Amino acid sequence: MANSLRNIGAIAGKELRGYFGSPIAWVMMGLFALVFGNFFNAYVDYFMRAAMQSQFGGPPPNQNVNNDMIRPLLAQASTLMLFLLPMVTMRTYSEEKRSGTIELLLTSPVTDVEIILGKFFGAVGLLLGLLAVTMVYIGVLFALSGPQWQPVLTGYIGLLLLGSSFLALGLFISSTTKNQMVAGAATFVVALLFWIINWFAEGAGPTFGPILSYLSITQHFEDFGKGVLDTKHIIYYLSFIAFGLFLTLKSVDSERWRG
Amino acid sequence: MIEVQHLTKRYGSLTAVDDISFRVEKGQILGFLGPNGAGKTTTMRVLTGYMPATEGTAIVAGYDVFQHPIEAKRRTGYLPETPPLYPEMTVREYLTFVSNLKLGSLPKPQRRQRVETAMEKTSISDMAARMCGKLSKGYRQRVGLAQALLHDPEVLILDEPTAGLDPKQIIEVRDLVRGLAGDHTVILSTHILPEVAQTCHRVVIINKGRVVAEDTPDNLTHQLKGSATLYVQVEGDASVQEVLAAVPGVNRVTVADQQGRYLGFEVEAAANRDVRRDVARAIVERGIGLLELRPNRMSLEEIFLQLTTEERDAKPEERADVRPEEAHGQQSA
Repeated sequence: MANSLRNIGAIAGKELRGYFGSPIAWVMMGLFALVFGNFFNAYVDYFMRAAMQSQFGGPPPNQNVNNDMIRPLLAQASTLMLFLLPMVTMRTYSEEKRSGTIELLLTSPVTDVEIILGKFFGAVGLLLGLLAVTMVYIGVLFALSGPQWQPVLTGYIGLLLLGSSFLALGLFISSTTKNQMVAGAATFVVALLFWIINWFAEGAGPTFGPILSYLSITQHFEDFGKGVLDTKHIIYYLSFIAFGLFLTLKSVDSERWRG
Repeated sequence: MIEVQHLTKRYGSLTAVDDISFRVEKGQILGFLGPNGAGKTTTMRVLTGYMPATEGTAIVAGYDVFQHPIEAKRRTGYLPETPPLYPEMTVREYLTFVSNLKLGSLPKPQRRQRVETAMEKTSISDMAARMCGKLSKGYRQRVGLAQALLHDPEVLILDEPTAGLDPKQIIEVRDLVRGLAGDHTVILSTHILPEVAQTCHRVVIINKGRVVAEDTPDNLTHQLKGSATLYVQVEGDASVQEVLAAVPGVNRVTVADQQGRYLGFEVEAAANRDVRRDVARAIVERGIGLLELRPNRMSLEEIFLQLTTEERDAKPEERADVRPEEAHGQQSA
Protein backbone atom coordinates (compact mmCIF):
# COMPACT_ATOMS: atom_id res chain seq x y z
CA MET A 1 0.00 0.00 0.00
CA ALA A 2 2.73 2.42 1.00
CA ASN A 3 4.57 1.21 -2.06
CA SER A 4 1.65 1.98 -4.32
CA LEU A 5 1.18 5.44 -2.89
CA ARG A 6 4.85 6.18 -3.44
CA ASN A 7 4.70 5.04 -7.05
CA ILE A 8 1.53 7.02 -7.69
CA GLY A 9 3.19 10.03 -6.09
CA ALA A 10 6.30 9.64 -8.25
CA ILE A 11 4.24 9.59 -11.43
CA ALA A 12 1.90 12.37 -10.34
CA GLY A 13 4.94 14.48 -9.47
CA LYS A 14 6.47 13.84 -12.87
CA GLU A 15 3.20 14.78 -14.58
CA LEU A 16 3.01 18.03 -12.64
CA ARG A 17 6.62 18.86 -13.46
CA GLY A 18 5.75 18.13 -17.07
CA TYR A 19 2.86 20.59 -16.98
CA PHE A 20 4.70 23.34 -15.16
CA GLY A 21 8.04 22.74 -16.83
CA SER A 22 6.48 23.39 -20.22
CA PRO A 23 4.37 26.40 -21.23
CA ILE A 24 1.14 24.40 -21.19
CA ALA A 25 0.22 24.95 -17.53
CA TRP A 26 1.16 28.63 -17.59
CA VAL A 27 -0.64 29.34 -20.85
CA MET A 28 -3.70 27.62 -19.51
CA MET A 29 -3.64 29.46 -16.22
CA GLY A 30 -3.09 32.74 -18.03
CA LEU A 31 -5.98 32.03 -20.35
CA PHE A 32 -8.14 31.01 -17.43
CA ALA A 33 -7.24 34.18 -15.53
CA LEU A 34 -7.94 36.33 -18.57
CA VAL A 35 -11.33 34.90 -19.48
CA PHE A 36 -12.46 34.42 -15.91
CA GLY A 37 -11.32 37.96 -15.10
CA ASN A 38 -13.40 39.20 -17.98
CA PHE A 39 -16.49 37.45 -16.63
CA PHE A 40 -15.69 38.75 -13.18
CA ASN A 41 -15.47 42.27 -14.48
CA ALA A 42 -18.79 41.95 -16.30
CA TYR A 43 -20.56 40.61 -13.23
CA VAL A 44 -19.13 43.28 -10.96
CA ASP A 45 -20.19 45.91 -13.44
CA TYR A 46 -23.70 44.52 -13.69
CA PHE A 47 -23.96 44.14 -9.93
CA MET A 48 -22.86 47.75 -9.37
CA ARG A 49 -25.28 49.12 -11.90
CA ALA A 50 -28.18 47.20 -10.35
CA ALA A 51 -27.20 48.49 -6.92
CA MET A 52 -26.99 52.04 -8.24
CA GLN A 53 -30.41 51.82 -9.86
CA SER A 54 -31.99 50.69 -6.63
CA GLN A 55 -30.44 53.70 -4.87
CA PHE A 56 -32.08 56.08 -7.34
CA GLY A 57 -35.61 54.90 -6.68
CA GLY A 58 -35.59 51.60 -8.52
CA PRO A 59 -36.96 48.39 -7.08
CA PRO A 60 -35.74 47.59 -3.58
CA PRO A 61 -32.34 45.91 -3.52
CA ASN A 62 -32.68 42.18 -3.61
CA GLN A 63 -29.07 41.52 -4.32
CA ASN A 64 -26.84 38.87 -2.95
CA VAL A 65 -23.15 38.40 -3.71
CA ASN A 66 -23.46 34.63 -3.48
CA ASN A 67 -26.40 34.31 -5.81
CA ASP A 68 -25.70 37.08 -8.24
CA MET A 69 -21.94 36.84 -8.56
CA ILE A 70 -20.26 33.79 -7.15
CA ARG A 71 -22.73 31.22 -8.41
CA PRO A 72 -22.79 32.40 -12.02
CA LEU A 73 -19.04 32.92 -11.93
CA LEU A 74 -18.41 29.34 -10.86
CA ALA A 75 -20.80 28.18 -13.55
CA GLN A 76 -18.70 30.13 -16.04
CA ALA A 77 -15.60 28.48 -14.68
CA SER A 78 -17.17 25.09 -15.41
CA THR A 79 -17.76 26.16 -19.01
CA LEU A 80 -14.14 27.23 -19.27
CA MET A 81 -13.06 23.85 -18.01
CA LEU A 82 -15.00 22.17 -20.79
CA PHE A 83 -12.74 23.95 -23.26
CA LEU A 84 -9.46 23.84 -21.38
CA LEU A 85 -9.29 20.46 -19.70
CA PRO A 86 -9.19 18.43 -22.93
CA MET A 87 -5.91 20.25 -23.54
CA VAL A 88 -4.57 19.05 -20.20
CA THR A 89 -5.16 15.37 -20.77
CA MET A 90 -4.63 15.17 -24.51
CA ARG A 91 -0.90 14.62 -24.17
CA THR A 92 -0.82 12.38 -21.10
CA TYR A 93 -0.79 9.05 -22.88
CA SER A 94 -0.54 10.11 -26.51
CA GLU A 95 2.76 11.88 -25.99
CA GLU A 96 4.26 9.00 -24.03
CA LYS A 97 3.25 6.63 -26.77
CA ARG A 98 4.57 8.84 -29.52
CA SER A 99 7.94 9.49 -27.89
CA GLY A 100 8.38 5.93 -26.58
CA THR A 101 8.61 6.93 -22.91
CA ILE A 102 5.64 4.64 -22.31
CA GLU A 103 8.21 1.84 -22.57
CA LEU A 104 9.95 3.18 -19.51
CA LEU A 105 6.73 3.29 -17.50
CA LEU A 106 5.48 -0.11 -18.60
CA THR A 107 8.80 -1.84 -17.92
CA SER A 108 9.33 -0.21 -14.53
CA PRO A 109 8.25 -2.09 -11.41
CA VAL A 110 4.94 -0.24 -11.16
CA THR A 111 1.46 -1.49 -11.97
CA ASP A 112 -0.81 -0.10 -14.66
CA VAL A 113 -3.24 1.10 -12.00
CA GLU A 114 -0.46 3.06 -10.30
CA ILE A 115 0.52 4.66 -13.60
CA ILE A 116 -3.06 5.63 -14.39
CA LEU A 117 -3.79 7.00 -10.93
CA GLY A 118 -0.48 8.89 -10.97
CA LYS A 119 -1.38 10.51 -14.26
CA PHE A 120 -4.89 11.25 -13.08
CA PHE A 121 -3.81 12.90 -9.83
CA GLY A 122 -1.11 14.84 -11.67
CA ALA A 123 -3.80 16.29 -13.92
CA VAL A 124 -6.00 16.97 -10.90
CA GLY A 125 -3.06 18.90 -9.47
CA LEU A 126 -3.11 21.18 -12.48
CA LEU A 127 -6.88 21.50 -12.15
CA LEU A 128 -6.36 22.68 -8.57
CA GLY A 129 -3.93 25.25 -9.94
CA LEU A 130 -6.58 26.50 -12.37
CA LEU A 131 -9.14 26.70 -9.57
CA ALA A 132 -6.63 28.60 -7.45
CA VAL A 133 -6.56 31.26 -10.13
CA THR A 134 -10.31 31.81 -9.74
CA MET A 135 -9.94 31.96 -5.97
CA VAL A 136 -8.02 35.19 -6.38
CA TYR A 137 -11.13 36.84 -7.82
CA ILE A 138 -13.50 35.25 -5.34
CA GLY A 139 -11.08 36.36 -2.61
CA VAL A 140 -11.58 39.96 -3.73
CA LEU A 141 -15.32 39.54 -3.15
CA PHE A 142 -14.65 38.18 0.31
CA ALA A 143 -12.41 41.12 1.04
CA LEU A 144 -14.94 43.72 -0.07
CA SER A 145 -18.19 42.16 1.07
CA GLY A 146 -19.34 39.30 3.23
CA PRO A 147 -20.64 36.44 1.14
CA GLN A 148 -21.45 33.14 2.77
CA TRP A 149 -18.52 30.79 2.50
CA GLN A 150 -20.44 27.49 2.54
CA PRO A 151 -21.92 27.73 -0.98
CA VAL A 152 -18.51 28.83 -2.24
CA LEU A 153 -16.92 25.74 -0.76
CA THR A 154 -19.54 23.39 -2.19
CA GLY A 155 -19.25 25.19 -5.51
CA TYR A 156 -15.53 24.47 -5.59
CA ILE A 157 -16.09 20.84 -4.61
CA GLY A 158 -18.50 20.63 -7.53
CA LEU A 159 -15.98 22.19 -9.89
CA LEU A 160 -13.31 19.80 -8.72
CA LEU A 161 -15.56 16.78 -9.28
CA LEU A 162 -16.77 18.05 -12.65
CA GLY A 163 -13.23 18.84 -13.78
CA SER A 164 -11.92 15.50 -12.56
CA SER A 165 -14.63 13.78 -14.59
CA PHE A 166 -13.40 15.55 -17.71
CA LEU A 167 -9.85 14.56 -16.84
CA ALA A 168 -10.75 10.88 -16.42
CA LEU A 169 -12.57 10.99 -19.74
CA GLY A 170 -9.61 12.72 -21.39
CA LEU A 171 -7.16 10.25 -19.94
CA PHE A 172 -9.10 7.39 -21.46
CA ILE A 173 -9.32 9.01 -24.88
CA SER A 174 -5.64 9.92 -24.77
CA SER A 175 -4.76 6.30 -24.07
CA THR A 176 -6.40 5.23 -27.31
CA THR A 177 -4.34 7.31 -29.73
CA LYS A 178 -0.82 8.41 -30.49
CA ASN A 179 -2.01 11.71 -31.88
CA GLN A 180 -2.56 14.31 -29.19
CA MET A 181 -4.60 16.60 -31.44
CA VAL A 182 -7.05 13.80 -32.09
CA ALA A 183 -7.12 13.03 -28.36
CA GLY A 184 -7.85 16.66 -27.50
CA ALA A 185 -10.56 17.11 -30.12
CA ALA A 186 -12.26 13.81 -29.30
CA THR A 187 -12.22 14.57 -25.58
CA PHE A 188 -13.83 17.93 -26.23
CA VAL A 189 -16.53 16.42 -28.42
CA VAL A 190 -17.41 13.67 -25.95
CA ALA A 191 -17.33 16.09 -23.02
CA LEU A 192 -19.59 18.44 -24.97
CA LEU A 193 -21.96 15.57 -25.61
CA PHE A 194 -22.28 14.93 -21.88
CA TRP A 195 -22.69 18.67 -21.43
CA ILE A 196 -25.68 19.02 -23.75
CA ILE A 197 -27.19 15.57 -23.47
CA ASN A 198 -30.12 16.84 -21.41
CA TRP A 199 -31.20 19.00 -24.36
CA PHE A 200 -32.45 15.83 -25.94
CA ALA A 201 -34.13 14.62 -22.78
CA GLU A 202 -37.49 16.26 -23.49
CA GLY A 203 -37.87 14.73 -26.93
CA ALA A 204 -36.67 11.32 -25.82
CA GLY A 205 -39.90 10.17 -24.25
CA PRO A 206 -40.72 9.01 -20.73
CA THR A 207 -38.27 6.12 -20.66
CA PHE A 208 -35.11 7.61 -22.08
CA GLY A 209 -35.75 11.20 -21.09
CA PRO A 210 -34.85 10.77 -17.40
CA ILE A 211 -31.85 8.64 -18.32
CA LEU A 212 -30.45 11.27 -20.65
CA SER A 213 -31.14 13.94 -18.13
CA TYR A 214 -29.42 11.92 -15.43
CA LEU A 215 -26.35 11.46 -17.64
CA SER A 216 -25.98 15.19 -18.14
CA ILE A 217 -22.78 16.33 -16.53
CA THR A 218 -24.04 19.90 -15.97
CA GLN A 219 -27.34 19.09 -14.27
CA HIS A 220 -25.48 17.45 -11.42
CA PHE A 221 -23.38 20.55 -10.98
CA GLU A 222 -26.25 22.94 -10.28
CA ASP A 223 -26.90 21.90 -6.71
CA PHE A 224 -23.26 22.37 -5.76
CA GLY A 225 -23.53 26.01 -6.81
CA LYS A 226 -26.53 26.48 -4.54
CA GLY A 227 -24.60 25.21 -1.57
CA VAL A 228 -26.20 21.78 -1.52
CA LEU A 229 -24.04 18.70 -1.11
CA ASP A 230 -26.15 15.85 -2.38
CA THR A 231 -24.67 12.34 -2.34
CA LYS A 232 -26.59 11.58 -5.53
CA HIS A 233 -24.47 14.08 -7.42
CA ILE A 234 -21.24 13.12 -5.71
CA ILE A 235 -21.87 9.50 -6.60
CA TYR A 236 -22.58 10.49 -10.21
CA TYR A 237 -19.24 12.24 -10.56
CA LEU A 238 -17.27 9.63 -8.65
CA SER A 239 -18.69 6.86 -10.79
CA PHE A 240 -17.98 8.91 -13.92
CA ILE A 241 -14.36 9.23 -12.81
CA ALA A 242 -14.06 5.57 -11.80
CA PHE A 243 -15.54 4.45 -15.10
CA GLY A 244 -13.19 6.67 -17.07
CA LEU A 245 -10.16 5.35 -15.22
CA PHE A 246 -11.42 1.79 -15.58
CA LEU A 247 -11.70 2.25 -19.34
CA THR A 248 -8.20 3.69 -19.39
CA LEU A 249 -6.93 0.59 -17.61
CA LYS A 250 -8.66 -1.65 -20.12
CA SER A 251 -7.33 0.40 -23.02
CA VAL A 252 -3.73 0.27 -21.72
CA ASP A 253 -4.09 -3.44 -21.12
CA SER A 254 -5.45 -4.20 -24.57
CA GLU A 255 -2.73 -2.04 -26.08
CA ARG A 256 -0.22 -4.33 -24.41
CA TRP A 257 -1.71 -7.37 -26.03
CA ARG A 258 -1.94 -5.79 -29.44
CA GLY A 259 1.56 -4.33 -29.15
CA MET B 1 19.41 -16.29 -15.47
CA ILE B 2 17.20 -15.82 -18.50
CA GLU B 3 15.21 -18.71 -19.85
CA VAL B 4 12.87 -18.42 -22.78
CA GLN B 5 10.77 -21.41 -23.76
CA HIS B 6 8.60 -21.78 -26.82
CA LEU B 7 7.86 -18.11 -26.91
CA THR B 8 5.37 -17.04 -29.54
CA LYS B 9 3.97 -13.58 -30.15
CA ARG B 10 1.27 -12.92 -32.68
CA TYR B 11 -0.14 -9.56 -33.66
CA GLY B 12 -3.46 -10.48 -35.17
CA SER B 13 -2.57 -12.76 -38.05
CA LEU B 14 1.08 -11.70 -38.10
CA THR B 15 3.46 -13.94 -36.18
CA ALA B 16 6.32 -11.76 -34.99
CA VAL B 17 8.02 -14.36 -32.83
CA ASP B 18 7.49 -18.00 -33.62
CA ASP B 19 8.28 -20.59 -30.95
CA ILE B 20 11.73 -19.45 -29.91
CA SER B 21 13.69 -20.88 -27.00
CA PHE B 22 17.07 -19.92 -25.64
CA ARG B 23 18.81 -19.37 -22.35
CA VAL B 24 21.48 -17.08 -21.02
CA GLU B 25 23.71 -18.03 -18.12
CA LYS B 26 24.50 -15.62 -15.34
CA GLY B 27 27.13 -13.05 -16.20
CA GLN B 28 27.06 -13.72 -19.91
CA ILE B 29 26.40 -11.41 -22.81
CA LEU B 30 24.04 -12.74 -25.42
CA GLY B 31 23.97 -11.14 -28.83
CA PHE B 32 20.65 -11.07 -30.54
CA LEU B 33 21.16 -10.86 -34.23
CA GLY B 34 18.72 -10.56 -37.05
CA PRO B 35 17.57 -8.37 -39.91
CA ASN B 36 15.04 -5.65 -39.24
CA GLY B 37 11.65 -7.09 -38.49
CA ALA B 38 13.04 -10.44 -37.39
CA GLY B 39 11.38 -10.19 -34.01
CA LYS B 40 14.28 -8.95 -31.88
CA THR B 41 12.45 -6.00 -30.39
CA THR B 42 9.31 -8.03 -29.81
CA THR B 43 11.23 -10.70 -27.94
CA MET B 44 12.90 -8.05 -25.80
CA ARG B 45 9.59 -6.38 -25.10
CA VAL B 46 8.19 -9.67 -23.89
CA LEU B 47 11.23 -10.24 -21.67
CA THR B 48 10.90 -6.80 -20.10
CA GLY B 49 7.21 -7.25 -19.41
CA TYR B 50 6.22 -4.50 -21.82
CA MET B 51 3.86 -6.90 -23.55
CA PRO B 52 2.67 -10.41 -22.83
CA ALA B 53 3.50 -13.32 -25.09
CA THR B 54 0.82 -15.22 -26.94
CA GLU B 55 2.32 -18.53 -25.91
CA GLY B 56 5.34 -19.80 -24.05
CA THR B 57 7.17 -18.72 -20.94
CA ALA B 58 10.01 -16.38 -20.10
CA ILE B 59 11.84 -16.47 -16.80
CA VAL B 60 14.04 -13.52 -15.97
CA ALA B 61 16.20 -13.49 -12.81
CA GLY B 62 14.18 -16.35 -11.39
CA TYR B 63 10.77 -14.79 -11.95
CA ASP B 64 8.26 -15.58 -14.63
CA VAL B 65 7.59 -12.29 -16.40
CA PHE B 66 3.88 -13.10 -16.76
CA GLN B 67 3.25 -14.45 -13.28
CA HIS B 68 5.39 -12.01 -11.30
CA PRO B 69 5.93 -9.02 -13.56
CA ILE B 70 6.81 -6.57 -10.80
CA GLU B 71 9.50 -8.81 -9.30
CA ALA B 72 10.97 -9.50 -12.73
CA LYS B 73 10.91 -5.81 -13.67
CA ARG B 74 12.65 -4.89 -10.43
CA ARG B 75 15.60 -6.99 -11.58
CA THR B 76 15.66 -5.91 -15.20
CA GLY B 77 17.11 -2.83 -16.85
CA TYR B 78 15.85 -2.05 -20.31
CA LEU B 79 17.12 0.30 -22.96
CA PRO B 80 14.54 0.45 -25.76
CA GLU B 81 15.45 1.22 -29.33
CA THR B 82 14.73 4.91 -28.78
CA PRO B 83 15.88 5.98 -25.33
CA PRO B 84 12.70 6.81 -23.36
CA LEU B 85 13.59 10.37 -22.35
CA TYR B 86 11.34 13.25 -21.37
CA PRO B 87 12.65 16.19 -23.40
CA GLU B 88 11.60 18.84 -20.89
CA MET B 89 13.48 17.26 -17.98
CA THR B 90 17.14 17.73 -17.22
CA VAL B 91 19.29 14.62 -17.13
CA ARG B 92 19.41 14.66 -13.33
CA GLU B 93 15.66 15.27 -13.00
CA TYR B 94 15.00 12.44 -15.39
CA LEU B 95 17.23 9.97 -13.59
CA THR B 96 15.78 11.06 -10.27
CA PHE B 97 12.32 10.29 -11.58
CA VAL B 98 13.50 6.89 -12.78
CA SER B 99 15.07 6.25 -9.37
CA ASN B 100 11.74 7.12 -7.71
CA LEU B 101 10.03 4.59 -9.96
CA LYS B 102 12.53 1.80 -9.60
CA LEU B 103 14.04 2.34 -6.18
CA GLY B 104 11.13 3.90 -4.33
CA SER B 105 11.83 1.90 -1.19
CA LEU B 106 15.37 3.23 -0.76
CA PRO B 107 15.91 6.32 1.39
CA LYS B 108 16.38 9.51 -0.56
CA PRO B 109 20.15 10.04 -0.06
CA GLN B 110 20.83 6.55 -1.35
CA ARG B 111 18.62 7.11 -4.35
CA ARG B 112 20.52 10.30 -5.08
CA GLN B 113 23.76 8.38 -4.77
CA ARG B 114 22.55 5.82 -7.32
CA VAL B 115 21.73 8.60 -9.77
CA GLU B 116 25.23 10.02 -9.43
CA THR B 117 26.82 6.57 -9.81
CA ALA B 118 24.82 5.82 -12.94
CA MET B 119 25.85 9.16 -14.44
CA GLU B 120 29.50 8.47 -13.66
CA LYS B 121 29.36 4.98 -15.15
CA THR B 122 28.02 6.31 -18.40
CA SER B 123 30.15 9.50 -18.23
CA ILE B 124 27.27 11.95 -18.46
CA SER B 125 27.93 13.76 -15.17
CA ASP B 126 28.85 16.96 -17.00
CA MET B 127 25.48 16.87 -18.77
CA ALA B 128 23.47 16.52 -15.55
CA ALA B 129 21.89 19.97 -15.81
CA ARG B 130 21.12 19.76 -19.54
CA MET B 131 17.63 19.22 -20.89
CA CYS B 132 17.23 15.72 -22.27
CA GLY B 133 15.62 17.15 -25.41
CA LYS B 134 18.74 19.16 -26.18
CA LEU B 135 21.20 16.28 -26.03
CA SER B 136 23.00 14.78 -29.00
CA LYS B 137 22.12 11.26 -30.10
CA GLY B 138 25.16 9.81 -28.37
CA TYR B 139 24.32 11.41 -25.06
CA ARG B 140 20.68 10.39 -25.30
CA GLN B 141 21.79 6.83 -25.75
CA ARG B 142 24.01 7.11 -22.71
CA VAL B 143 21.27 8.66 -20.59
CA GLY B 144 19.09 5.76 -21.70
CA LEU B 145 21.81 3.38 -20.61
CA ALA B 146 22.18 5.20 -17.28
CA GLN B 147 18.44 4.76 -16.80
CA ALA B 148 18.74 1.02 -17.46
CA LEU B 149 21.68 0.65 -15.07
CA LEU B 150 20.32 2.85 -12.34
CA HIS B 151 18.87 0.16 -10.09
CA ASP B 152 21.86 -2.12 -10.63
CA PRO B 153 19.68 -4.84 -12.20
CA GLU B 154 20.74 -8.45 -12.53
CA VAL B 155 19.56 -8.52 -16.11
CA LEU B 156 20.12 -5.87 -18.75
CA ILE B 157 18.24 -5.85 -22.00
CA LEU B 158 19.63 -3.45 -24.55
CA ASP B 159 17.91 -2.92 -27.87
CA GLU B 160 20.55 -1.75 -30.33
CA PRO B 161 22.61 0.17 -27.79
CA THR B 162 25.06 1.45 -30.38
CA ALA B 163 22.60 2.51 -33.07
CA GLY B 164 23.27 6.00 -34.33
CA LEU B 165 26.50 6.54 -32.42
CA ASP B 166 29.79 7.66 -33.90
CA PRO B 167 32.69 5.17 -33.96
CA LYS B 168 34.29 6.53 -30.81
CA GLN B 169 31.03 6.36 -28.89
CA ILE B 170 30.39 2.86 -30.20
CA ILE B 171 33.68 1.71 -28.74
CA GLU B 172 32.86 3.39 -25.43
CA VAL B 173 29.46 1.76 -25.21
CA ARG B 174 30.89 -1.64 -26.12
CA ASP B 175 33.54 -1.31 -23.45
CA LEU B 176 30.87 -0.32 -20.99
CA VAL B 177 28.73 -3.31 -21.89
CA ARG B 178 31.71 -5.67 -21.71
CA GLY B 179 32.49 -4.26 -18.29
CA LEU B 180 28.96 -5.10 -17.16
CA ALA B 181 29.30 -8.81 -17.90
CA GLY B 182 30.03 -10.90 -14.86
CA ASP B 183 27.88 -8.91 -12.46
CA HIS B 184 25.07 -8.53 -14.93
CA THR B 185 23.52 -10.80 -17.49
CA VAL B 186 23.10 -8.92 -20.72
CA ILE B 187 21.04 -9.41 -23.85
CA LEU B 188 21.81 -6.96 -26.60
CA SER B 189 20.38 -6.80 -30.06
CA THR B 190 22.21 -5.43 -33.00
CA HIS B 191 22.61 -5.75 -36.69
CA ILE B 192 26.24 -4.70 -36.58
CA LEU B 193 28.06 -8.00 -36.76
CA PRO B 194 31.56 -7.17 -35.56
CA GLU B 195 29.85 -5.93 -32.43
CA VAL B 196 28.63 -9.41 -31.67
CA ALA B 197 32.02 -10.96 -32.33
CA GLN B 198 33.65 -8.41 -30.04
CA THR B 199 31.22 -8.19 -27.17
CA CYS B 200 29.14 -11.31 -26.90
CA HIS B 201 29.72 -14.72 -25.38
CA ARG B 202 26.89 -16.26 -27.29
CA VAL B 203 24.93 -15.37 -30.38
CA VAL B 204 21.34 -16.10 -31.24
CA ILE B 205 20.51 -15.40 -34.85
CA ILE B 206 16.84 -14.99 -35.51
CA ASN B 207 15.02 -14.48 -38.73
CA LYS B 208 11.30 -14.13 -39.33
CA GLY B 209 10.65 -14.86 -35.69
CA ARG B 210 12.59 -18.12 -35.56
CA VAL B 211 15.97 -18.98 -34.11
CA VAL B 212 18.15 -20.03 -37.02
CA ALA B 213 21.40 -20.47 -35.10
CA GLU B 214 22.64 -20.31 -31.54
CA ASP B 215 26.27 -20.67 -30.52
CA THR B 216 29.41 -18.79 -29.59
CA PRO B 217 30.64 -16.38 -32.26
CA ASP B 218 33.75 -18.54 -32.79
CA ASN B 219 31.86 -21.78 -33.16
CA LEU B 220 29.47 -20.20 -35.56
CA THR B 221 32.24 -19.09 -37.86
CA HIS B 222 33.86 -22.55 -37.70
CA GLN B 223 30.75 -24.63 -37.91
CA LEU B 224 29.34 -22.88 -40.88
CA LYS B 225 32.57 -22.71 -42.79
CA GLY B 226 31.52 -25.78 -44.76
CA SER B 227 34.42 -27.41 -46.53
CA ALA B 228 37.70 -25.60 -46.02
CA THR B 229 38.51 -23.23 -48.82
CA LEU B 230 41.63 -21.26 -49.59
CA TYR B 231 42.01 -18.07 -51.47
CA VAL B 232 45.12 -18.05 -53.65
CA GLN B 233 46.33 -15.13 -55.68
CA VAL B 234 49.11 -15.64 -58.21
CA GLU B 235 50.82 -13.83 -61.04
CA GLY B 236 50.31 -16.06 -64.05
CA ASP B 237 47.74 -17.32 -66.51
CA ALA B 238 44.75 -19.62 -66.54
CA SER B 239 46.96 -22.71 -66.70
CA VAL B 240 47.62 -22.28 -62.99
CA GLN B 241 44.15 -23.61 -62.40
CA GLU B 242 45.22 -27.05 -63.61
CA VAL B 243 48.32 -26.93 -61.48
CA LEU B 244 46.22 -26.26 -58.43
CA ALA B 245 43.65 -28.88 -59.32
CA ALA B 246 46.44 -31.47 -59.53
CA VAL B 247 47.48 -30.94 -55.91
CA PRO B 248 46.43 -33.95 -53.84
CA GLY B 249 43.50 -33.25 -51.56
CA VAL B 250 42.11 -30.43 -53.68
CA ASN B 251 38.57 -31.06 -54.80
CA ARG B 252 37.76 -28.06 -56.88
CA VAL B 253 39.34 -24.88 -58.16
CA THR B 254 37.45 -21.92 -59.45
CA VAL B 255 38.64 -18.58 -60.76
CA ALA B 256 37.53 -15.99 -58.29
CA ASP B 257 38.86 -12.78 -59.78
CA GLN B 258 41.26 -11.49 -62.36
CA GLN B 259 43.04 -8.19 -62.63
CA GLY B 260 45.45 -8.19 -65.58
CA ARG B 261 48.02 -10.84 -64.76
CA TYR B 262 46.90 -11.19 -61.17
CA LEU B 263 44.64 -14.16 -60.83
CA GLY B 264 42.66 -15.14 -57.77
CA PHE B 265 41.53 -18.73 -57.19
CA GLU B 266 39.14 -20.33 -54.84
CA VAL B 267 40.60 -23.67 -53.79
CA GLU B 268 38.29 -26.11 -52.14
CA ALA B 269 39.96 -28.87 -50.19
CA ALA B 270 38.57 -32.13 -48.94
CA ALA B 271 37.21 -31.94 -45.44
CA ASN B 272 39.79 -31.85 -42.63
CA ARG B 273 42.77 -31.62 -44.95
CA ASP B 274 45.20 -28.79 -44.75
CA VAL B 275 46.45 -28.35 -48.29
CA ARG B 276 48.20 -25.03 -47.79
CA ARG B 277 51.74 -26.41 -47.84
CA ASP B 278 51.14 -28.53 -50.91
CA VAL B 279 49.43 -25.75 -52.77
CA ALA B 280 52.25 -23.32 -52.01
CA ARG B 281 54.90 -25.83 -53.03
CA ALA B 282 53.16 -26.68 -56.30
CA ILE B 283 52.96 -23.02 -57.25
CA VAL B 284 56.50 -22.10 -56.28
CA GLU B 285 58.02 -25.17 -57.92
CA ARG B 286 56.61 -24.08 -61.23
CA GLY B 287 58.08 -20.63 -60.89
CA ILE B 288 54.71 -18.95 -60.63
CA GLY B 289 54.60 -15.81 -58.51
CA LEU B 290 52.61 -16.49 -55.32
CA LEU B 291 51.08 -13.25 -54.08
CA GLU B 292 48.58 -14.34 -51.49
CA LEU B 293 47.44 -17.50 -49.77
CA ARG B 294 44.94 -17.51 -46.98
CA PRO B 295 42.14 -19.58 -45.55
CA ASN B 296 38.83 -18.28 -46.81
CA ARG B 297 36.94 -18.36 -43.55
CA MET B 298 33.42 -17.05 -43.57
CA SER B 299 32.94 -13.87 -41.72
CA LEU B 300 29.93 -13.44 -39.46
CA GLU B 301 28.35 -11.29 -42.12
CA GLU B 302 28.34 -14.12 -44.59
CA ILE B 303 26.99 -16.56 -42.05
CA PHE B 304 24.34 -14.08 -41.21
CA LEU B 305 23.39 -13.51 -44.81
CA GLN B 306 23.47 -17.18 -45.47
CA LEU B 307 21.18 -17.90 -42.56
CA THR B 308 18.77 -15.11 -43.08
CA THR B 309 18.35 -14.85 -46.83
CA GLU B 310 15.76 -16.78 -48.73
CA GLU B 311 18.23 -19.14 -50.39
CA ARG B 312 19.57 -20.42 -47.12
CA ASP B 313 18.84 -23.98 -48.17
CA ALA B 314 21.18 -23.60 -51.12
CA LYS B 315 23.71 -26.30 -51.87
CA PRO B 316 27.08 -26.09 -50.13
CA GLU B 317 28.96 -25.38 -53.38
CA GLU B 318 27.02 -22.22 -53.86
CA ARG B 319 27.77 -21.22 -50.36
CA ALA B 320 31.49 -21.17 -51.12
CA ASP B 321 30.95 -18.86 -54.07
CA VAL B 322 31.63 -15.81 -52.02
CA ARG B 323 33.47 -13.23 -53.99
CA PRO B 324 36.87 -12.62 -52.45
CA GLU B 325 36.71 -8.84 -52.71
CA GLU B 326 33.77 -8.93 -50.39
CA ALA B 327 35.48 -11.29 -48.03
CA HIS B 328 38.43 -8.93 -48.10
CA GLY B 329 36.43 -5.88 -47.23
CA GLN B 330 34.62 -7.59 -44.44
CA GLN B 331 37.68 -8.95 -42.80
CA SER B 332 39.36 -5.63 -42.65
CA ALA B 333 36.17 -4.01 -41.38
